[in-house]
Amino acid sequence: MTPTSLVSRQWLPSSSPPLLQLLSRLLSTLLLFSLAGSTVADTYDETLLLQPLSGQFLLASFNFRSHGPIQAFNKQMFQLFPRSLGQILQYTHTRELHLRFALGRWDSELWGAQPDDGQNAGGTGVELWAWVEADNDVEAEARWTSLNNALSGLFCASLNFIDSTRTIRPVMSFSPTGDYPTTNTTRLFLLHGTLPKEPVCTENLTPFLKLLPCKGKFGISTLLDGHKLFDASFQSMSIDVRPICSATTGECDIEIQQNIDMVLDISRSLQRKDSPVPRPRDQHELICDATKSYGSTEYCYPLDNSFDLPWSLSDLFGKSILGRCPFAVRSDQEVAHVCIAAPKERIVSLPEGSDVTQKTLEDGRRCYTLRDNQPFDVFLPKQEPPTSPHRQEPLLYAERSFTGHGQEHGGVKTVLRNPSTTDAVEVVYLESLPWFMKPYLHTLKAELLPSPPPSAGKDAGKVISELYYRPALDRKRGTQLEAKLVVPPNSVVIMTYDFEKAVLRYTEYPPDANRGFDVASAVITIPPHRRKSDGKFVPATSIRTTSLLLSLPTPDFSMPYNVIIFTSTIMALAFGSIFNLLVRRFVAVDEVQRMNLKATIKGWIGKLSKSKEE
Amino acid sequence: MALRVPVNLRKNLSVVLYAFQALSVAAVIIGLASLLLLPLDEYSRRTYISENALLPGQVHAYFGGSEQNIVRAFRKEVAELGNSTSDVVAFRMAEIFRSAGLKVGQQKYSYKAAGGEYTGENVYAVLHAPRGDATEAIVLCAPWKNIDHILNEGGVALTLALSRYFKRWSLWSKDIIFLISADARAGPQAWVDAYHDLHGANVQSLSVKSGAIQGVVVVDHPGPYHRFESLHIMYDGINGQLPNLDLINTAVQISRDQMQLRTDLQEMWHHEDTYRHRLRTMLRGMVNQALGHSTGPHSSFIPYHIDAITLATHGDGWHDEMSLGRTVESVFRSLNNLLEHFHQSFFFYLLMAPKRFVSIGTYLPSAMLLAVGLTLTAIRLWIDPRSRSSTDDGQAVVKNAGEKGGDEKKKQTGDQAATIPKPIDGGPKRELFLPLSVVIGVHFCGVIPFAVFNTVDYKSMANVFYIFIAASFVLPMILATLIALTTPPRRLMQTFHLSRCFSLLFLGMFLSTLATLNFSLSFLIGLFSLPLTFARATPTSTPIALMNSILLQLTSPFAALFAVAGYWGLGVEDVLREASFGWWVWGMWTPAIVWCVWWPAWVVARVSVDASFVMAATGKVPVGA
Repeated sequence: MTPTSLVSRQWLPSSSPPLLQLLSRLLSTLLLFSLAGSTVADTYDETLLLQPLSGQFLLASFNFRSHGPIQAFNKQMFQLFPRSLGQILQYTHTRELHLRFALGRWDSELWGAQPDDGQNAGGTGVELWAWVEADNDVEAEARWTSLNNALSGLFCASLNFIDSTRTIRPVMSFSPTGDYPTTNTTRLFLLHGTLPKEPVCTENLTPFLKLLPCKGKFGISTLLDGHKLFDASFQSMSIDVRPICSATTGECDIEIQQNIDMVLDISRSLQRKDSPVPRPRDQHELICDATKSYGSTEYCYPLDNSFDLPWSLSDLFGKSILGRCPFAVRSDQEVAHVCIAAPKERIVSLPEGSDVTQKTLEDGRRCYTLRDNQPFDVFLPKQEPPTSPHRQEPLLYAERSFTGHGQEHGGVKTVLRNPSTTDAVEVVYLESLPWFMKPYLHTLKAELLPSPPPSAGKDAGKVISELYYRPALDRKRGTQLEAKLVVPPNSVVIMTYDFEKAVLRYTEYPPDANRGFDVASAVITIPPHRRKSDGKFVPATSIRTTSLLLSLPTPDFSMPYNVIIFTSTIMALAFGSIFNLLVRRFVAVDEVQRMNLKATIKGWIGKLSKSKEE
Repeated sequence: MALRVPVNLRKNLSVVLYAFQALSVAAVIIGLASLLLLPLDEYSRRTYISENALLPGQVHAYFGGSEQNIVRAFRKEVAELGNSTSDVVAFRMAEIFRSAGLKVGQQKYSYKAAGGEYTGENVYAVLHAPRGDATEAIVLCAPWKNIDHILNEGGVALTLALSRYFKRWSLWSKDIIFLISADARAGPQAWVDAYHDLHGANVQSLSVKSGAIQGVVVVDHPGPYHRFESLHIMYDGINGQLPNLDLINTAVQISRDQMQLRTDLQEMWHHEDTYRHRLRTMLRGMVNQALGHSTGPHSSFIPYHIDAITLATHGDGWHDEMSLGRTVESVFRSLNNLLEHFHQSFFFYLLMAPKRFVSIGTYLPSAMLLAVGLTLTAIRLWIDPRSRSSTDDGQAVVKNAGEKGGDEKKKQTGDQAATIPKPIDGGPKRELFLPLSVVIGVHFCGVIPFAVFNTVDYKSMANVFYIFIAASFVLPMILATLIALTTPPRRLMQTFHLSRCFSLLFLGMFLSTLATLNFSLSFLIGLFSLPLTFARATPTSTPIALMNSILLQLTSPFAALFAVAGYWGLGVEDVLREASFGWWVWGMWTPAIVWCVWWPAWVVARVSVDASFVMAATGKVPVGA
């Protein structure tokens, strides 16, 4: 029996005697538990990192990670791995999965580099990429489609709309993060799809939480409430599934990592607590600059950031953490569940009577271990003068915008800025464009600022070293553009290209046609490398630009109906008169037979008399 | 089945000619009359909100209370900076925006026009929508000095205060850009050009950007006074383009129904909604539209298909800046509701009261009819037998011309002509070379004044203008003399005839095209060009020629320029400077249309009229006159 049929059987009602099968299942499960359960069980960790960011923002990073032996997974014996997701992955032969839901934008100017080097963040909307095992491209495509459809149902997202026009096969940008010692890598197909328009909301959060072992009932996941999460200035949810193998023993585990990053505006969250509407403050609550010459009760020149705002978990999230998730324990060591990466000067206090172990790590983090059935809360009081949170300079700043205006042509301008004064950065720029946006590749230019001196030679200004371009096919696939380029230290690369806007068919417009069409964010990947100046290893980093709104020539949709009605009327009139002319016989007046009244009457009488005789 | 006509049209065209004349006169009269009918209730409509998503005035505006203290403080700050240079202002404004936690950008620009240099520095701040993704944006703009060069104290202070107030709301679906432009004319243009990366080297690029701009509201509350009486809504864009009517309706509905603020349009401060007031509002709107100039910072946005209006305060009443702030807040809440770009309501309309308008379908016929009147005249001139030459068949022309004399004559000549079978196209030929080259040549000459007035210095503008008037008085004379002296008499009349024909044809077609883009400009040029339909060469009657000449002089582009200057109370050189500035900064097409379309048509008409004097003076009476 081929593996395919083995797996696919689970979707069908079993045809063999049910009792027998059930018994055999039970037996095997029991056997496995008795043999392996005590030694090789799934492990689960959950951590919450709270990190104040400059500008009175707070980054809350939730990380949930579990892994268990891949053999059990392949035999569909799920312990902590969510069964619903596991079965989908097996059915579609997906070896590695990365799913991202993101909303808002990461303000790298203010907040610095993204957490985890941007590995957990995706472009606005939904982004999905996976390595699917298949014999050939067609099979991979089919499995990808069924993966999208299944995930669409699981996460209540429109992932099923990732069709061939939104799917690309990146060449340089992504590489698998899992280990594949036994799989033939030529059988692994990477597929990547985005839905920039997808509004991420509560209906995506609920299934996300359901995948967790504690399902948002215990542990740090109790803080995840839709109202708070989706009020954040930036929010990203991610799921990564991959196999990881030990280099020494060669045993493989399957790992699922779920991540939620959110950036809260502390002042807005606190104010929400008092009133849902940000009414003007009371006069005595205003913080005014008293040094102004006109300073009086009537005038108030507002002072900002004169102190650190006081906050506690229950203020920001509306509740405190409800005990500990029973799975998130290790017998051999104390696990830190909640860490606060505030500057050392910032005071962190725990509510009185709380019995929590606190540990200060080397990097100044203060970490806490949760206890069973004990609520947990921390409180950071108001502090004056304000502390300055640690900000890690990102490797690269990226910004993308449209240029030009009009219904026919447009341009895209991407600005990549390397803030480092010493090191050049090599990046891979990936753009996945919809088919109705047709770039002119010959207009692709990368300009280096400050421009290199003419003495540096002809190739000094050449920024793009490699280019992979897969042109669009109308209504079949989108454009894929990958460029490898180098941004020299302390300089800016401005990449521009022009494009033409296609005219869509009248039925191809969405209901909100005049809103425009979303263009997915560009993915900028910095491959792992060793920094030249100090030899430090820099892990792979990825950056997403914002998505764009492309306006296409849009017909006045009341117009087609007018046209249809008018044309039909004219057609009807023309047809009517022509038909009339065609079927009518025209005869001259003298050609008409003169009617003989007498003969006619006689004829009738004759007929009548005949019928009587009969 | 043949059409039965009482006279044989091939032999006698007079019926057709008269019919064309009557039709063209009728078109002009109906066109004019239909415009005057527009303000009536039967022809205009009440405005309504077409885009349901806007929901104007459905939310409570909270701006007030302690925010007033902040506005007052910012007012002090603005007044202190009052006369500082643009870069000092931009630096200080950037500081205020930055401390509120917004992304700030600054932009220097410098334009050269009419010998003057217009420099300044814009400063703007972007408030990121809390959950947005930089795909859409709305702009709140306050020029540092308004269109009348008065310090926009209230407007700027309000923008600064609103930027802090808006930041506290989490409901924004679009980014909000707060723009403080250095002035009301060049600054916004530099900014919006750079926003779309369509700027020249004289304008700096923008360092911070957001998404597609969906709407712009400009606040103009100049001077040190807090209080005002009414809100003046300005909406005219460059080249007579208009913002979507929904935006104006939203502003009107919010200020009138929600804030109890009176709204005015087109500086009609005492609008009683009578026929006269409606007509005046409409005509003022048409003048602004026809000039195609900027009436405020909003004008620069409109060519980019960004709907924009200016809310300016007027008078002294019981409303204060907080009412203006609440109005802006409510308008922004409405714009924030927008799911799509403004597209539902009208883009072509004439407003005659804040809540009354006519749409393009109703008003367009009047401008079209004027253009049709010109075209019909051109067609009449073409089929007129006097436009045919009499090279080998001189008699025919004479006969045809003579036919108009009387009915008896017609019968005789008609019989005679019938004996000579004449194919339709084989008749007397039209000599096209001379008339066509006159018309085309004069149209090319139109580039000269256009280029000259766009390059000449402001100081010498008036002198150059008077020289140019003299030149365009002399030019037709010279042309007429040259033609009259060099052309054989039998071809003289048809030369003038055909040149008028081509010039009118071109003008008519151009105006009917223009009417769909800038109705008012087309209508006004059409109105001024009416004498061109009857100003012709009359070698036999000098008084008529004199009258025509005076009429033409009164309806010349120069007369129109003087009229505009008088209307605004400016010198003629100021108007020309405005035109030059408009061309270089805003890309305003009005001067190009005036000099390259209207002026040549006028010159060609003058050539015909002047030829009458020349012919009368030289005694060279052409055949067929």
